[in-house]
Amino acid sequence: MSFSAVQLHAEKISLSKNSTNFERPPVDVTGTVSDVRNAPLAGATVTIKGTRISTVTDQNGKFSLRGVSDGAVLQISFSGYLTEEVQAAAGAMKVTLREQINQLTDVVVVGYGTQRKKDLTGAVVQVKATQLENENARSVQDMLRGNAPGLDVGFNASPKGGGDLRVRGRASLTASTTPLIVVDGVIYQGDLSDINPNDISTMDVLKDASSAAVFGARSANGVILISTKKGKSGKPVVTFNSNYTMNKLARWPGLLSPEEFLSWRSDVIYSMRGYDSTSKPGIKYWAWDPKKLPSGFTVDQWLALGNQVGQDPTTVWLNRLGGTVGMAPVEIESYKNNTPIDWEKLMLNKNGRQQDHTVSVSGRNETFNYYTSFGIFDNEGMAVGERFKTFRSRTNLEANITKYLTFGVNMQFASRDEGAVPVRLSDMIRSTPFGNLYQADGRLRSSTTDNIGNNTNPLIDVYYVKRSVKSNNLFGTVYAKGKLPWGFSYQVNYTPRFEWFHNYEHTSSKRPLLESRGGITSRRDDRTFQWQIDNLLMWNKKFGKHSIDATGLFNAEKFQSFSSTINAENYLPNDNLGWNAIQAARLVTLVTANDQYATGDAIMGRINYSYDDKYLLTVTGRRDGYSAFGQGNPRAFFPSAALGWVLSDEKFMKNTSDWLEYAKVRVSYGENGNREIGRYAALSQLSSNSYLYTNTAGSNVGVGTVQTINMSNPNLRWERNASLNFGADFSLKGGKISGAIDYYVRQTRDLLVNRALPNVTGFSSVVANLGAIDNSGIELNLNTENMNKANFVWRTSFSIWSNKNKIIKLYGKVPVTDATGKTTLVDQDDQANGWFINRNVNTIWDFKVVGVWKTSEAATAKSFGFNPGDFKLEDVNKDGKFTIDDKVFLGQTVPKVSFNLRNEFTIYKNWDVSFQLYGRFGQLTQLNEATHATLFGGVMFYDRSQFYKLPYWTPDNQIDDYARMMSAEGSGIKFNVWRSSSFVRVNNVSIAYTVPKSALSKIKAQGLKLYFNVQNAAVFSPWTYFDPENKFFTPSYGTFGVNLTL
Amino acid sequence: MKHSTHTLMKYFALVAFVLLVTQSCQKDWLQPKPLSFFSPENTLIDEPGFNAALAAIARNVRDEWYGDGAPIISETIFSEVAVEGTTDKFGPAVNLNVLITPDANLNNVDFNRIGWYWERWYLIVRLANTVTTRIADIKTIPEATKNAILGKAYFYRAYAYYRLTHEFGDVPCTLKELTDAKLDFNSVKREVILQKMKTDLEFAFANVPWVANKGDVNRGAVGHLLTKINLALGLFDDAIASSTAVINNGTFKLMTSRFGADASNTKRNVIWDLHRPVNKFLSSNTEVLFSVIDRFGDPSATASGVNTMRQALPFSSNAAILTPDGKQGMTNTVVEIDHMKNYGRGIGRCRSTPYHTKYIWDDVKDLRHDTLSGNWMEMENLTYNNQAIKGSSPFYGQRLQLRKADGSLLVSNGDTIRNWYAWPHYKMYVEDQIRYPWQGGNSDWYAFRLAETYLLRAEAYWWKNDVAGATADVNTVRRRAGCDAYGAGVVDIGTILDERARELYYEEPRKTELTRVAYIFAKTGKSFNGKTYTANNFSTANFFYDRIMAKNDFYAKGVKNIRGDQYTISPYHVLWPVPRPAILANSLGVINQNIGYSGAEKNKPALDKIPD
Repeated sequence: MSFSAVQLHAEKISLSKNSTNFERPPVDVTGTVSDVRNAPLAGATVTIKGTRISTVTDQNGKFSLRGVSDGAVLQISFSGYLTEEVQAAAGAMKVTLREQINQLTDVVVVGYGTQRKKDLTGAVVQVKATQLENENARSVQDMLRGNAPGLDVGFNASPKGGGDLRVRGRASLTASTTPLIVVDGVIYQGDLSDINPNDISTMDVLKDASSAAVFGARSANGVILISTKKGKSGKPVVTFNSNYTMNKLARWPGLLSPEEFLSWRSDVIYSMRGYDSTSKPGIKYWAWDPKKLPSGFTVDQWLALGNQVGQDPTTVWLNRLGGTVGMAPVEIESYKNNTPIDWEKLMLNKNGRQQDHTVSVSGRNETFNYYTSFGIFDNEGMAVGERFKTFRSRTNLEANITKYLTFGVNMQFASRDEGAVPVRLSDMIRSTPFGNLYQADGRLRSSTTDNIGNNTNPLIDVYYVKRSVKSNNLFGTVYAKGKLPWGFSYQVNYTPRFEWFHNYEHTSSKRPLLESRGGITSRRDDRTFQWQIDNLLMWNKKFGKHSIDATGLFNAEKFQSFSSTINAENYLPNDNLGWNAIQAARLVTLVTANDQYATGDAIMGRINYSYDDKYLLTVTGRRDGYSAFGQGNPRAFFPSAALGWVLSDEKFMKNTSDWLEYAKVRVSYGENGNREIGRYAALSQLSSNSYLYTNTAGSNVGVGTVQTINMSNPNLRWERNASLNFGADFSLKGGKISGAIDYYVRQTRDLLVNRALPNVTGFSSVVANLGAIDNSGIELNLNTENMNKANFVWRTSFSIWSNKNKIIKLYGKVPVTDATGKTTLVDQDDQANGWFINRNVNTIWDFKVVGVWKTSEAATAKSFGFNPGDFKLEDVNKDGKFTIDDKVFLGQTVPKVSFNLRNEFTIYKNWDVSFQLYGRFGQLTQLNEATHATLFGGVMFYDRSQFYKLPYWTPDNQIDDYARMMSAEGSGIKFNVWRSSSFVRVNNVSIAYTVPKSALSKIKAQGLKLYFNVQNAAVFSPWTYFDPENKFFTPSYGTFGVNLTL
Repeated sequence: MKHSTHTLMKYFALVAFVLLVTQSCQKDWLQPKPLSFFSPENTLIDEPGFNAALAAIARNVRDEWYGDGAPIISETIFSEVAVEGTTDKFGPAVNLNVLITPDANLNNVDFNRIGWYWERWYLIVRLANTVTTRIADIKTIPEATKNAILGKAYFYRAYAYYRLTHEFGDVPCTLKELTDAKLDFNSVKREVILQKMKTDLEFAFANVPWVANKGDVNRGAVGHLLTKINLALGLFDDAIASSTAVINNGTFKLMTSRFGADASNTKRNVIWDLHRPVNKFLSSNTEVLFSVIDRFGDPSATASGVNTMRQALPFSSNAAILTPDGKQGMTNTVVEIDHMKNYGRGIGRCRSTPYHTKYIWDDVKDLRHDTLSGNWMEMENLTYNNQAIKGSSPFYGQRLQLRKADGSLLVSNGDTIRNWYAWPHYKMYVEDQIRYPWQGGNSDWYAFRLAETYLLRAEAYWWKNDVAGATADVNTVRRRAGCDAYGAGVVDIGTILDERARELYYEEPRKTELTRVAYIFAKTGKSFNGKTYTANNFSTANFFYDRIMAKNDFYAKGVKNIRGDQYTISPYHVLWPVPRPAILANSLGVINQNIGYSGAEKNKPALDKIPD
């Protein structure tokens, strides 16, 4: 195959060498247009340069033009490819188009319309799904993670995948910071997991205020616009994409082996007793293995420590190791028989399988453009029994009724199954290596150590709980577009969304320990219906060098949801029918409904004006209304404006044109709103419940109870963001280097906060508009084509960004009198919430851990209420006590600098290799697990559990970064342990092989690609506890996939 | 074709026009529409609405006695009767000098619930204020009904302020529903608040009926609370008057004969009957002034029940308890000797002191300390139940022993604090419908009982130096428990407090009552045990501290538990620390911190008047 590739290339070169200048008679030209892999490109435009004569390639990439004057030049262009110019020649021409990486002519979705990247005045970044094909993104978040500068995508290790999204830092204290999602031009309020990544063609992230401002009150956190695939060619194209994934457990500390467990546990017991070795000689050996006592200390002396002389030393020892509750007989038996339980094997699904299959059919002709797909996604998780399944389907259909009128439907249906009952991995260390899973009769034991309440058999739920959690979602848009005279056009979208959700759970009456409750059911049903209507009027006109593109919007929306739950138990005569026969449950413990309603509306106008394609102007205004806001302020207006100047088109830049292909500077200013505060935040609500009295006759009288749950705030209004963005786009050396740089300042005003109130009011907080936050940051994005040889193409895209934020104002200035009696006006910090004027929203204000108290410091430690082995804090004011006056600023919880790096290689034309990594630096994360205290991290008691292989302090090993087992969490104060969680993650490594066309003719396929990739291949970090982004069991994924096009 | 395009276009424009018009014409389009919740404006307008608001307060009062680490334990361990007994973690309130600070975690079931009290009382104040403020404008409710509702709301508000002022001293006071964020609270003098509560309760006493549903407020409960506040104000005659009104009215009587569920069980007795969950709400039970309600199966039931068996019983299932032949004697699994059901799996969190289990029992006939009928349980009344040693140890099924014949301890880890003490089974035993091992399930609980009214009056008499009157009232309570009456010259405040401990353990807020007594000593300057007290140095020398150090061996002797943590307490613990977040969030005023805690240096003189 490499042979033919070389030939093709030579052929093309020979074409251009044949150019001559003298006249010859016209000729008929035919040819084939294909990509570098020799796959035909259907729909490419072939134009005779300097004329209006053109044609489009057919299904097989073929074209023909009659009567072309010999020597004429043909321009062959295709979206996403570099335009080629070749000299027309008689006979069968072969033209190879190279993929374009210079994105200037890319079409970017900007909300209620599209624009060429070239004409943008705002900061927009585009992610192309085609680029990520070999990486089989499992979710929308996977596609965005590490591929969009300025966008932080959280990590989610569940089989469902996902992660939180945050554009350009945190700009709100209380309201949601999730960006607005727009799918095919309409606002999307469903679950991101309902969107099949295989259906996505591009994603555009609007980061600056001006671009986002078209979404007004919804846009303060940025906007992510998702465009789904459309039909591309005349002949129906059928694509199968199938892949299989294996999960592997990535970084984790590992579980103690049974032997390690025994010596660890003896340290736990000793630590629990306060290391008071003076109270009783030899007490240090209290829980030691009697076979391993030091010389000079006899077994009898050791037994005498607990008045147990004459007893079997092993039994005594195991009993002492059992701490407060003792080791259960079943544990002792299991130790003596050497039959430990292999928890890793029982609980970890180390070879979890995942599969993802999508089939799509698409095509287009003059009248119809269609794309339809069906996908099944079935993932196992890290925990045994953990599973996520979804069926997703999409149909995009557009019909040109007449030349002037288009109707279309985009419909998405998804059915999610989240009803798996997995083992709880957090239960792993809530057990011990010894014990027994089963009772003598073969049924599951309630607790493998017979210690009910501390250790529940992790398999119990898997056996005795039945769950059904399903969500069916229908999201669609029905639209009509019409062309009107004088450059006007009109579009109306009707976008309904239906969601049916249920969550049924039944715990069998046979579940050990709950038999007496006779089966327990919870049955919840939810129904959501919302709709939006967009009326869009657009005007597009050119006058000479003036070009105007205006858009007007009228929008209305309504949300309604209905939710009801019944909890019941005590089934008679039996619970064999479970939730399906909840009427058989005698005791109804809960019946509740939660119905909600919200409405909104919007008017928006936008004008894009450009002069000579050099000077660009965008002006937008949007007025939004939302029912959640106080009746005083239901509406607000959000304006924006932006300017762009294409420098490189100016005459004075001529000298640089040999290297600087394109340069544009842009500046934008705009305001955006945030309304995500809850649908009833402004109203005073009464929570209702019930209570019981007994009347004088001795009968029960149920009474209703009502109590206010929040303070009303009729003046609640929108949170506003005002941001200024300076940016530059550039392209050098014929597009081999291109990129953008942006600097922004964003001010958030009228912050929606849960304002802390003195709890003397009986309320802890009230939702109010207060304060101000400033965000500023810089983003650099660079795309380079490092090499573009016939057999080796290497491209890199790199971005780096940094965001800083600062609280400017909180509750307003109040008079404060200092020690000298001087009174000044000061805006006070909110220490209760951890918010400080002139500090990062995510700042850490806490006690400073400076090490671990040494044995030699016992007396000092004691004076603070600590013991050796506990974490040592800094007594900042040296008053001999730890109070809030000793709290200091330690850092921040969000990264200071982030980068993404992606390298792609095409080798021998058929091999694609890529690797992508991202790094986050400067953030601190809580590692309270290092205290080995009982309650931090939700862990139970270490004298009843086992443990991961983590370091811990002992008198013989006085380390400084981990405390002793069961250390003190504080002495009259609370503190947290903070550690750096900076990291670099090799997020994806992929390799793909495209089977040459020649090999496919037998199976009549148009394309076949095989790919293999590893997700989360490696992490580099000083962080020591599981994964730095996900402090728990985290998988790596290895995937093999096939993509077949017929 | 051309024609049809035009038609389509027209139709299209029409649709667009209709849409635009319909949308813009709805004036109330953005009106919020609450569907599944009530709002004050549509609910607190009639009698059922206000009754529901009062029932909500009753529900909030209830939680003091319920769940894991129930708040009542914090009240109980700041006294002579109990200490925190858990030893498996750091943080439980053992070393009070180190752990009880304004910056500590003051609301944690494993540590203490001081912060819970602070928040809960102010929640109740807020809910009561909502009723008192809103009912004033309602014209449609008859005056008598209105006054009864108002009286009940006053009762709850006074209930909260009585507790606040004896847990925290001078505290902020609001008497109106707040409609704006208020950040300028200042502390008000305790007596000023109590004086206002007295006035309110006198109104309530005149307007709340004597007879009401159990769980609701009646005049007896009002009079009982009024008595406490009269005492707190040093108004002993008023206290005698208000308590006598309750005692003499006739609606309420001590239960002196057998009744209820176990009445025919001759092994049991009236003390047993009085504390049976199903007997607490019988109409024949005339001793109840005010109780909180929790019934299994009712939607209003608490999730975890009273949990008394888990909280207040020793950790008798601890593996460290050995048989005299050295085997593990006890187990917490399902075995034939089912201690886990009969007594539950105690964890020794609320560990009775020798004062409560031994010293105060001065009459062997006292039914409240009677092991024969099963009212009272000593460890030695339990038997070794570890079925694994059945057959191999002769001690299986035999009674527990603390020591071997040679005197050596049979608790291998030495933890007799947590594992080994006696308890009042008649009170703590509550059938558990929810789980196994039993922890104490759903049951009503007494808040005010007539027995306490007698003891309050006894106190008032004693303060007035009427020892005979005091003796008579104490003896009324004692005789019911089968004791002989005290002769002349025995009864003093110490004896009365002992009687309270015998009768009201795990019912009364012991710390609140001790602090109240300490305040009266400081106010009256009355001499006791050769000591007098003043208000000036209340936080450094007070009756509260002296009494605890005289009676509670753990604090007095500086006992250390097996973790090496020492039991300590200080005079300033007579008042709890105000949780720091409350002070921090009050940026425009000063909420005083109690002397002895960090932050008290910023205090301002407390107000003499409740601000409007």
